[in-house]
Amino acid sequence: MINATKKWIFLKISGALLVPLMIWFILNFINIYNQDYSIVENFFSNSSSKFLFSIFIINAYFFSALSISEVFEDYIKNYKIKNVANRILYASAVVIPLITIILMTRL
Amino acid sequence: MENKAPLSPHIQIYKWHISSLVSITHRITGIINIIGITLICLLVSLLILGENNYEMINLFLSSMIGKFIILSLTWSFSFQILSEIRHLIMDLGYGFDLKVTKITGLIVIIGSIVLTVVFYLIGKNFF
Repeated sequence: MINATKKWIFLKISGALLVPLMIWFILNFINIYNQDYSIVENFFSNSSSKFLFSIFIINAYFFSALSISEVFEDYIKNYKIKNVANRILYASAVVIPLITIILMTRL
Repeated sequence: MENKAPLSPHIQIYKWHISSLVSITHRITGIINIIGITLICLLVSLLILGENNYEMINLFLSSMIGKFIILSLTWSFSFQILSEIRHLIMDLGYGFDLKVTKITGLIVIIGSIVLTVVFYLIGKNFF
């Protein structure tokens, strides 16, 4: 299987997984976004919310990294710029969810 | 190594269609969503600093601008959800007929607005 096919399959699996996770998250976020600290903190320290939110952000960043790299492929002509942009994209897709999850576990 | 592959043609030379509008909006909402998710990750990370530091975030999110941002993010999520479902159905080989493409495109555009209202009302426990 060539890399482009693998990338397409990963994009589709993560895209399909993202739909229910987005629905779950947006419904809960609308409910808590302007609530007191204790309610927001309670939501993000709840073990099932922690687990689902972690899966949600890992999947969202993974999906975004794959799809934004496609946008770079379409619109950035210079190979060096594209390479740097992709490296920053993939690094942030790992670092941001990782830091968030570590900090969330301390709540 | 210089990439010799052709880039996407300039979009302004084409007449606008529902499919192209949905496709471009899908990309734009994808970028908006990841910016939104990054800000939410920041919000979650700031929770660790305690209640006093959260007051400012709460004040901002409760303001008109804050509510507008949340509502816009809800629309962006709604659009992405419907557009992703449309993409997945097309990947299964359905909905390529020109007429069907227009109808499903319209469903995504109008449906995203309806879904935003539904999500907001459910989220705020109106039902």
